[in-house]
Order: sequence, then structure tokens, then C-alpha cells
Amino acid sequence: MPSESAAAAAAAAAAMNSVGEACTDMKREYDQCFNRWFAEKFLKGDGSGDPCTDLFKRYQQCVQKAIKEKEIPIEGLEFMGHGKEKPESSS
Amino acid sequence: MLPSSHPWDTVIKAAMRKYPNPMNPCVVGVDVLERSVDAQGRLHSLRLLSTEWGLPGLVRAVLGTGRTMTYVQERSVVDPAEKRMELCSANAVREMGDLGSGLGRKARDRTCSAVSFPKLTLTNVVSVSERLVYTPHPENAGGRLLTRKPSSLRGIGLAATGG
Repeated sequence: MPSESAAAAAAAAAAMNSVGEACTDMKREYDQCFNRWFAEKFLKGDGSGDPCTDLFKRYQQCVQKAIKEKEIPIEGLEFMGHGKEKPESSS
Repeated sequence: MLPSSHPWDTVIKAAMRKYPNPMNPCVVGVDVLERSVDAQGRLHSLRLLSTEWGLPGLVRAVLGTGRTMTYVQERSVVDPAEKRMELCSANAVREMGDLGSGLGRKARDRTCSAVSFPKLTLTNVVSVSERLVYTPHPENAGGRLLTRKPSSLRGIGLAATGG
């Protein structure tokens, strides 16, 4: 049944880790909130009223810190505090 | 054109939650870097996929696990009104070496992920840059089409197309 497979997929996705070890719990909490809103509201045409903004903010702060500490190359994300790096053209 | 009997929203939910994926066990981390709904009601997401190269343990111990990871940025746009999803990704590869500098050289490789039906497995298509667009199948209300629009091909000797 679609709802059972969606629930199983949501559980599996929630089991993935974050790039920052300290952020994994926050990530999973946010993922559960998002997946529920995405399936029950957004895909059904009701994209307003995202209930996950507070969870996302906390999670984001943690991830930004981890990305800076690990010096992960992220292009074009100004809020990360990295320099603006233009993508190299494929060669 | 690959018709499928899965409803569109089931496909999209699966595409958004495709990790962990037994066909790609090297993805060890998934993070959302940005997410927003635009004025047209489309959901834009930028995700960071942390993938482990799978090098021998001794090599990883010498280099440190931070240097053996590849980070893929995946951008997606989901339009629930048009029943359309676009997905593309790009690699930022940190090369090994430079043990003293602590930085390593960085190179960028634009690749894309291809979702194949009906198993919804994910394969990395190296050297091909594509936009994937999912729309409902015009003749089969329960199915959907995957339209590939190659924007550039590298290393295969074909002319790049716009896109």
C-alpha cells in the first residue's frame, strides 16, 4: 500500500546521518517533520504553513558549523560564509 | 519514455527519500542545505550528499576520513500543480594529497544522477550533465514520463546541446 511504503521509506530516510555528527538527531527530527508535511500537505496542493521552520533553523545552524569546520567545498552559498566560488566549466 | 504504474506523488516521495539506497551504499550522509517554496508554490531544495570513497582502512587512517569523502550537491524543484520534478547534482571533489596544507586541491565535476524506472534505483552518470523532468504520462493517468534533456556530454565525443 502506498501509505505503508511511504512510512517505511520515511523511516529509512530518517536513519541517514548528517555530515556533522552532532547534527544527526536534529536532522532526523526535521526529516520526519518535513516528510510528513511534504506527503500530507505539499503534494496535495497545500504548500502553505510549513510547520518545520524552527526545527530547520536549529538543524541548519548545526550543519553550517560542521561544513565550516570540515572545510567542505560548497559553491555559491553565501550564508555559509565561504568566498563566492564560480563553478569551473566541464572539460 | 518509460511509463510506470506508480502515481506521480509516490514516485516523487521516493525520489526525495532515495537514501539509504542499497544500489549506492557509499552515500553515508544526507543534509538539507536550503529549502524554500517560491511564489509559484514550487519547492526548491539543495541537499548535500556525503559519499565515502571506500578506500582501504589503512589509506583512510593515513589521510583522515575527511579527505576521502566526496560531497555531492543535489538541487531539486518539485511543482505539485504541474506534477513536475527536476533534479540535478554536481560534485565537489577534494583531491587527496597536500597532507601538510590541510586543504587539498579542489576540482568540480558537473555530473547528474539518473533515476531509472520502475525500480527507482539511482545510478551516477559520470560525465553527463542532464536535466531530469518528471511529468504525468499523457495517455496513462496513473503513470509518468521521464524526459531526459542532455545539456552536455563529456568524454564521449558527442556535441554538447543546450539546456
